[in-house]
Amino acid sequence: MAEARAVVAGQHTSSRPAASLGCALLLATALPAAAASTGWDANIPTPYIPSTTLAVDEMLRVAGVVPDDLVVDLGSGDGRIVIAAARDYGARGLGIEIDPMLVRESAENARRAGVADRVAFREGDVLKAEIKAATVVTLYLLPQLVEQLKPRLLAQLKPGTRIVAHDFGFADWAPDRTVTISKNYYLYVVPARVSGNWRLEADLPGGAREFDFELQQTYQRIRGGARVPGGYLPAFEARLAGDRIAFVLVDGDTSLHFEGRVSGPVMEGVVRSGPGRNRIESHWRATRAGLPANEG
Amino acid sequence: MRAGSFALLLACVAAACAPAAAQVFPEFRYDVPFVPSPQVTVDEMLRLAQVSDKDFVVDLGSGDGRVVITAATKFGARGMGVDLDHDLIVESEENAREAGVSDRVSFVEQDLFKADLSRATVITMYLLPAVNLKLRSRLLELKPGTRIVAHDFDLGDWQPDRKTTVRKNTFLWIVPARIAGRWQARLALPPIERLLELELTQRYQEVTATARLNGVPTQVWEARLEGDRFRFVVVDTTDREHEASLYFAGTMSGDVMDGDLTRGVGAAATTIKWRAARTAP
Repeated sequence: MAEARAVVAGQHTSSRPAASLGCALLLATALPAAAASTGWDANIPTPYIPSTTLAVDEMLRVAGVVPDDLVVDLGSGDGRIVIAAARDYGARGLGIEIDPMLVRESAENARRAGVADRVAFREGDVLKAEIKAATVVTLYLLPQLVEQLKPRLLAQLKPGTRIVAHDFGFADWAPDRTVTISKNYYLYVVPARVSGNWRLEADLPGGAREFDFELQQTYQRIRGGARVPGGYLPAFEARLAGDRIAFVLVDGDTSLHFEGRVSGPVMEGVVRSGPGRNRIESHWRATRAGLPANEG
Repeated sequence: MRAGSFALLLACVAAACAPAAAQVFPEFRYDVPFVPSPQVTVDEMLRLAQVSDKDFVVDLGSGDGRVVITAATKFGARGMGVDLDHDLIVESEENAREAGVSDRVSFVEQDLFKADLSRATVITMYLLPAVNLKLRSRLLELKPGTRIVAHDFDLGDWQPDRKTTVRKNTFLWIVPARIAGRWQARLALPPIERLLELELTQRYQEVTATARLNGVPTQVWEARLEGDRFRFVVVDTTDREHEASLYFAGTMSGDVMDGDLTRGVGAAATTIKWRAARTAP
């Protein structure tokens, strides 16, 4: 395993990919597909990789880190992402790293950067880490490991948590945003669970209305509509970003623009009827009718 | 509905397919399928264009005037409708009076290809595909940043900047500045001034760029042109120990482009002014 690390380190000009991918390789060797390391060495030509200070910068920029954030780096190597989040953005940070040497080095690096009070490093397997408190998760891991992590991330993380992956994203989950600066950076916002049936009530200008409202969901992509007597109003422009939801129902001559927040079995917010300055704003609220549908 | 079908009809006449249109005229006029009122679509077009009280909206093929009148009543804009049908112009003026916006809108009986678009900040249209394509070169000559909205029919290979679907497909295009050519900028970045040379080619708002930084070829990332605003990123490797991205945001005016340049991110970011001049078309 030390050899795998040495080989990878030799291919790159700096220690960030070496540390992180090295960590991934260490884990990979514990799995049946131990060939991952040889596959990497043999099949992937040595790319030109600019100083990965750039990659650290870009991941934190794409995540839109603010001082209130807790940034968790899975496979934190020498700690540079977590340390940069604390030093450059005033955030708090947690690094998870399987190599105890790198964990000690990270703590030392944090002391030197003067951010030891705001960051922590834990020795552990990224697949077992407790990350519920994270508001930002950064990943620079091999595709196989990224896929293995996905169900854990979706189960543990709060809606609205940003996940930024570098080079390798999730296979079947389309990113909310992709940025390409030398390399690809993928931003995923953990979506609230909204699939299923809802009872939607809105105080519309013409009077209070109630709809049977249903939603289907594939990650952040949602579609659905409202059942009304003798018809169906499809939800147009339906969007889900974390716990924020928006959609448009067209009722006769009026478009109703719904915007709101999802909180477990309730979503509520503001509905605007019509466009422009003479639109009327009122309140809407939906509660779950029955059990949540299975993840689509 | 009527607005739509008349727009289509008039467009067809104006598009020099007049003989054919004249033949189908009675059928076209009276054999109209039932379509719910497009007020929702009118609303959506104006919302997508983010019309405000600072805008002047020109509707090409204005029918009974509802787009221009809606822009005035619901969005506070001023506007002008252009239509070939005298009766519809009279009806539009009457509708504007009833809506109390006669002082802010006007209607002109004219071929839409001859309409004066010089005051327009927003163009709305619901025309046939062939007419859209025939108008496209004129639209591209409008002031950069002018918004064009249409529904159902697009502008061929000029991709929309945004698209929404509220019952129908609604498209927004932002007229791109003519940015193609060679550009040069001196960047006052410590420790040494950098010379940035850009070579830009453009297809509508899609810009392909190559660059040299102090003579060294470098790639340009995330290039985006919206109206007269251009953004891009170049990786600065001048100082190998402190490589960082240079985030450019500029506004173009003639042969000059200027704005902010940020090096790096977070607390480590520094922002300076930058200015580039076009050295060759």
